[in-house]
Amino acid sequence: MAVQLIGNGLEILSDDRLVIKNPKHWFHIHSYGQLTPFFHGLREKKLLGTRCTDPHCETRAWLPPRAHCPDCLQPAEWVELPQVGKIFTHTTIEYPGALFKLSTPCPLISVEIDGVCTKPMSYLLEGEPKIGLPVRAWFRIDNPTNTILDLAWVPA
Amino acid sequence: MITFRAGNLRIPRFEKPVYVVAGGLTDFRKRYPEKTTSELCADALNMAVHENDLKVSMKEFKGLANFCVYSQFADHFGDQLLAAAKVHDYLGFDPLGNIEVKTGGATGGHAVLAGALAIASGYANVVPVVGWERMDEVPTKVGNAYIASAADKDFESELGWMYASYYALMAQRYIHENHVPRETLAKIAIKNHGYAVSSPFAQNPMRITEKDVLENPMVSDPLAFLECCVMSTGAATLILADEEMAYTLSDHPVRLKAIASGTHTLRTADRRAMDVLLLPNETPDTYKEYRENREWPGFSSFLAARMAAYLAYHMAGIKDPVEELDLIETHDAFTISDIQTYEDVGLRPYGQGRDFIDSGDAYLGGRLPTNLSGGLIGTMHAVGATGIFQIVEVFWQLQNKWAKFHADPKMWDRFDKVMPDDIEDLQVKNANRGGAISHAGTGSHVSMAILENP
Repeated sequence: MAVQLIGNGLEILSDDRLVIKNPKHWFHIHSYGQLTPFFHGLREKKLLGTRCTDPHCETRAWLPPRAHCPDCLQPAEWVELPQVGKIFTHTTIEYPGALFKLSTPCPLISVEIDGVCTKPMSYLLEGEPKIGLPVRAWFRIDNPTNTILDLAWVPA
Repeated sequence: MITFRAGNLRIPRFEKPVYVVAGGLTDFRKRYPEKTTSELCADALNMAVHENDLKVSMKEFKGLANFCVYSQFADHFGDQLLAAAKVHDYLGFDPLGNIEVKTGGATGGHAVLAGALAIASGYANVVPVVGWERMDEVPTKVGNAYIASAADKDFESELGWMYASYYALMAQRYIHENHVPRETLAKIAIKNHGYAVSSPFAQNPMRITEKDVLENPMVSDPLAFLECCVMSTGAATLILADEEMAYTLSDHPVRLKAIASGTHTLRTADRRAMDVLLLPNETPDTYKEYRENREWPGFSSFLAARMAAYLAYHMAGIKDPVEELDLIETHDAFTISDIQTYEDVGLRPYGQGRDFIDSGDAYLGGRLPTNLSGGLIGTMHAVGATGIFQIVEVFWQLQNKWAKFHADPKMWDRFDKVMPDDIEDLQVKNANRGGAISHAGTGSHVSMAILENP
C-alpha cells in the first residue's frame, strides 16, 4: 500500500522567492521544581521567599526565591515575607510581546521590601505608579494564571 | 554584597598576540526573503576574503583556516536547531573543528573572544568567526516574545514579554537618580539614526529631529520606538590570525589588543549593592558623593560592562579611554543603556554619563566618536552578528577603509540602494585605537574588545 499524506501542505506566502508558512501548535510541559511552594503560597495569599541558614551568607531573603543560596549553594529555607513594599522603579507597557496575558497600558514595577535583598519585578494592578509609592501585595485567587501574574501590587 | 576575592580580578593575558585581518558584512533588513541564512553567511565571508586586500583566494584561505567559531543568539528565531552545522557545511569548512557561542545579545562579542582564545593559546592560527540572526520568520511581536524568553521565564518573561520594558524600568530609575532629560536621550537616537544614513548596511537610516523623538509613541515609558534598536536579518564575519599568519594574509592587519568579558545576574532584581569597581581613571574619591544616596550598581549601572572594561583596559594598558581611544562602538540597544554604558566603561564617572553626549564628545569631530556605524538603533541588531559587526566597523576605521566600504556607489547598488547625496565622510582621521562593547540581557553578559594598529 502506498504511503499516504496525513499532514497538511504548507501555504505559499510568496512565490518569487518561494516563502511558505510553517505553523507551530504545541505546548511545553514546564515544572516550577523546588520553587513550587512559592506558587502554592500565592493561592493562600502568602508571599514566600527563601533565606540561607548560614549567618555568613546573605542574611536577607530572596524573592524570586532560590532553592539554593547563591553564595554557598546549600539548600535555603522558606520564609514568609511582609506583604508591603515601596515602588523602586516603574514603566508602563504600551507595546508588549505576543504572549502577554494582561491588558495595556500596564504599569510594570520593581518593589523594595524590608528584609528582602532583591527588588522583584511585578505589576501595579490599579493606580498611578510613582517611585517611592507604598504598595501592598494582591493575589489573583479567582481565575489564577498559575504564573507570576498571580502576584500583583496595589497602592497601600 | 559581592566581594571580589583573590583570583576574581586577575588580568587576562594572551600567550600569543591576536590579529584581525578581515571583516565582511551583509546589509541588514527587517525581512530578507531573498536569501537563506547560509547564503547570507557566504556573502559575509566572501566580502571578508575577497574585499579586504588579503593576499589569498578563497580556496587558499580555506587551506589555511584551522578552526571556526559561529555566533547565533536564538535557535527558535531561525527555527533550525544547530544552524551552525548547516552554515559550517555550506561555507565548506568541514571537517575543521568548530564551536558555536551563545551569550544572548553579547553572543557576537563572545564569539570573537572564543576565536581570540584559540589564536592566543596557539590552538589555532587562522580562525573565521561568523555570526548571523534570522529574525524575520516571525511577526515583530512574536520576535519580542522570543527575545523576552531569554529573561527568567518563571519570574520575568510573563511581565510584558518585552525587553524594552525591562530596560524602561532601569531608565526610569536612572533618570530619577541622575536627572537626565528626554532631550539628552533623544540626541543619541538622532545621532545614530543619522550616522546610519551614511551606511549601505543600515536598516533604519533617518534624519530626525528632537521633536520627532519627543512626540514618538512610547513602547514603554520613557522609551519611544525611535529610541529602541531594530530587529534585523543579516550576517557578519571577522577573520582572526596569529602574527605570522596575519602578515601572510594581509599587509595591514590590526591587533586585537584585548577582549574581556563580565557577567551579572540575569534578573536585574537580584543585583545587590556593592562597592564600585574602579577603573584606572577613577579613585574612591570619585564616588564619595555619588554613593551617599545611590546603590551601586543598582538599576542604573551594569556591573558586567564595568567588569569587562576593567579587564580590557588593564589588558590593553589603557588609563583614560576618552583620551586613548579614537572611536568606540557601544551596544546602543536603547538610548538609556547607551548613557549607562558611557559610565560603565569610564567615558564619564557614574551619574555624569549624559555629559558625554551633551558635550559633543560622542560625535565625529568630538573626543571619542561613538557608533559611527549607526549602531543598533540606526543600522542593525541581527543579534548573533551584532558584536562581530561592531568589531568589523572599528577594524575598517583603523585600516582607514571606511570610505571603501561605505562611500562606494557600487556597495549601495549591491544592496539595491542608491548612495544618498547627503552621505557624510565618517572616517575618523588617523584612527589608531578603537573599542567595541557587546552586551546581553539587562547586562547579564558584556564583552569589551580593544583593537589597535600595530
